[in-house]
Amino acid sequence: MIPKKLASAVLTEATAFGADFAEIYLEDTLSSSISMENGKIEERGTGNGYGAGIRVLKGLQSAYGYTSDLSKKSLLKLAQDVGKAFSGPRVVTPPELQKVKVKEIINLSTQPMEAISVTEKIKLLKLVNDTMSSFDKRIIRTNVYLSDMVKHVTIFNTLGRFVEDTRRRGRLYMIAVAAENGKIENFGEGPGASDGFDFFTSKIKLKDMAIETAKSAIGLLGAAECPSGKMPVVIGNGFGGVIFHEACGHPFEASSISKKLSVFWDKLGKQVANPIVNAVDDGTIPFGWGSTNVDDEGFPAQKVQLIKDGILNSFMIDQFNGRRMKAEHNGHSRRQNYKFEPTSRMTNTYIENGPHTVDQIISATKYGLYAKKMGGGSVNPATGEFNFTVSEGYMIRDGKIAEAVKGAALVGKGDETLSKIDMVANDLARAQGMCGAASGSIPTDVGQPTIRVTEITVGGRGGGK
Amino acid sequence: MAKFDAYFALAKEKGIEVFELYYSRAKSLSFKLYNAQIEGYKLSEDISLYARGIYKGKIGYASTEKISKETASFLVDEIITNAGTVTKEELAIIFKGSEKYKKKNVYNPAIAELSIETKKKNLFEIESKLKAADQRIAQVDACTYQERESEAILMNSYGLKLKRKSNYYYYYASVLAIQGQERKNEGDVHFSNDPTTLNIDTFVNEIVKKSLMKFNGTQCASKDYKVVLDKEVVADLLSAYLDSASAEEVQKKTSLMIGKLNQPVASKKVTILEAPLKKNAFFTYFDDEGVATYNKTVVKKGVLQTYFHNLNTAHNDGVQTTGNGYRSGGKIEIGFRNIVLKAGRKSLEDIFAQVGDGVYITEVMGIHASLNPTSGNFSLQANGFMIENGKRGVPLTLITVAGNLMDLFMNVKEVANDNKLLPNGYDIPSILIKKLTISGK
Repeated sequence: MIPKKLASAVLTEATAFGADFAEIYLEDTLSSSISMENGKIEERGTGNGYGAGIRVLKGLQSAYGYTSDLSKKSLLKLAQDVGKAFSGPRVVTPPELQKVKVKEIINLSTQPMEAISVTEKIKLLKLVNDTMSSFDKRIIRTNVYLSDMVKHVTIFNTLGRFVEDTRRRGRLYMIAVAAENGKIENFGEGPGASDGFDFFTSKIKLKDMAIETAKSAIGLLGAAECPSGKMPVVIGNGFGGVIFHEACGHPFEASSISKKLSVFWDKLGKQVANPIVNAVDDGTIPFGWGSTNVDDEGFPAQKVQLIKDGILNSFMIDQFNGRRMKAEHNGHSRRQNYKFEPTSRMTNTYIENGPHTVDQIISATKYGLYAKKMGGGSVNPATGEFNFTVSEGYMIRDGKIAEAVKGAALVGKGDETLSKIDMVANDLARAQGMCGAASGSIPTDVGQPTIRVTEITVGGRGGGK
Repeated sequence: MAKFDAYFALAKEKGIEVFELYYSRAKSLSFKLYNAQIEGYKLSEDISLYARGIYKGKIGYASTEKISKETASFLVDEIITNAGTVTKEELAIIFKGSEKYKKKNVYNPAIAELSIETKKKNLFEIESKLKAADQRIAQVDACTYQERESEAILMNSYGLKLKRKSNYYYYYASVLAIQGQERKNEGDVHFSNDPTTLNIDTFVNEIVKKSLMKFNGTQCASKDYKVVLDKEVVADLLSAYLDSASAEEVQKKTSLMIGKLNQPVASKKVTILEAPLKKNAFFTYFDDEGVATYNKTVVKKGVLQTYFHNLNTAHNDGVQTTGNGYRSGGKIEIGFRNIVLKAGRKSLEDIFAQVGDGVYITEVMGIHASLNPTSGNFSLQANGFMIENGKRGVPLTLITVAGNLMDLFMNVKEVANDNKLLPNGYDIPSILIKKLTISGK
């Protein structure tokens, strides 16, 4: 996006005032979306995100600036303004920039989304729309939304690294709204991947997913209010992994570990979970929604074993926080776009398969909540306190799945909840989400097989047991 | 802005009947302190260009951050393609202009005039005072200053041209306080567009008080309680509640306020205003469609006075727009700003006395995930205190509060007189709710 010569000049300027590291991150992103409501196209939108971020580091200090004006004059001025956050003599002279070959993990589809005609995309939306709306006459509104983007990124730094990378992602959201006797409920799903159009047309069963979505919305109409209080909770596979994402994923990020903010900062090598619990963060899954060829500092994505046999094995680390931890970064530095300074983030995070079956878990539970499908949540990594919401739930009575319930939130502390996972099934699945934190909103996968937590606080409107 | 003339000329040449550009530009500066050292420093400049056009009777949108020789043709071509894709029957309108606008200058040059050294000195003072306040304060995990100024110009081929400019600054600090096994993370924001309003001691004391008083937290029994909701909690819930007053949601039949115009939607204690012309950082005298904004009563003594309209929803209902058309991405949807919940007469202490035994909620988390705007049902992670014998009692931690938004506002028994201007421009008091479900033990 800018010539190598200009990049060198910018890096030289940025390090003129004592910075020990400088980096340029350039981005040109074309995004498009189509939204359909009740079968009619409401909007097609297109946007072009464009700009550069310049970062300089000096020990444990950082300075960052960004602009959409990529002219030589503008970039050199920004480099100077950012570099001047420090004062002192030059300590690094940028070496010659060497282009690094990127190993493609996510960019291999033969049907890239931007090459697909609007007509083809609309056909797909219509299929999902019609499947949901014709499922039941109580479905009163359907929304289907397809978004895709192609992001070209160029990174230069004073280690001499020069990386060019292209990221393509697509996601389809479907929402079914059901109404009966003055009650309105909705249910949504949002499959996505770093993949092409074939992901939606052949790799997943989109029609089945639309039927399930409509069915879940209808199911909520008849669901009772969830009871409240502490009880065993069986959490379903796929998006159920949001519990691990919130309760452990965020507190395992170097941003809170390096400052000893996270309750897990001194637990490396210690037993933090039942030995049947194994968990990873893997940015290298081919076509994965949260996968990256290189992270946003230009280093290859990695698979990191976070928990091995219940023992805390590794954290997710970026360059800057790695300095404070005196630890090597491991391909986990990410950002939403050039407007954000990168920091340690998750990619595709999941609990691995365990020794049990779903049936064994349900039948071993006398009374509790079966949180079959989960919605989003949040966590405070400093206290470990998290919450997340159950979008489709059932009571378990005498080892059997009983009545449907709704409106439940689960709250707890990450370290306590992790230590209370006592059964792990073998039905691992991943699901897509957007994760928000200091460096913006980024695509991540969550995942797990069905698990059981022996006790968790369930907040519903149905009162105590 | 002469450079945009070429955009209008190209749009006309390519057959776009009415063309509109919304140009926005913002600059910001921030720095953060960690362990008595400036840990991070950030400078930014945001430029965005949003374009809309009517082509063959349909409206199309496009946006970009890239301003170059090709930008005009990119926007014009995308508008033409995108307009042609729309199949929803909707009136395509770009606004000619209101008769009168109530323009005010809310930009305060004093923010930029204050030296960077003074701003840094303030941060150092905040951090050192927080650390010195109590030995249980283990860390000041955030100590940040940010200032931002933004300007926008709306122009269209009818000749309408409207400008706005505003600025603000804020200090944000939070602490990690540790006592035994208990960890509390509390922070506060001082947000303003007037640098003279910062009182460091008040700011620091509030954070320290909030974090230390939460120690020895417990969980209460799971059941229904009389509940007092603190101002900030009310503001979060009110914002979700007012989304139902959006005419768009009503017309799509997914609002909780369908058919409620001039009907009760809250208890008689509740009066809600929208005041976009209030002079603060959120002031705006025109909405994103170029319609003049005005202050209005939305709910009067519990009765819904109006829905929020943009040009399109107003056309569908055969009424005038209320000037609530705000952009979400490219498309104009419904928004509102500077919400005021009118204060009652009783103090918070009087309300505690009236409650006798109940729960006082000071914080809720996870609202984006655990509040369903369609059904109005919510179940949220919460912190707070017991109300015992008419007074604030032991702290509560990791509890949940569950209910339904419509029921909640119908069940407001008292509104306190403790209004506070919040960082989002909302002016909100605490309220007492007849009954909500609390989950704890």
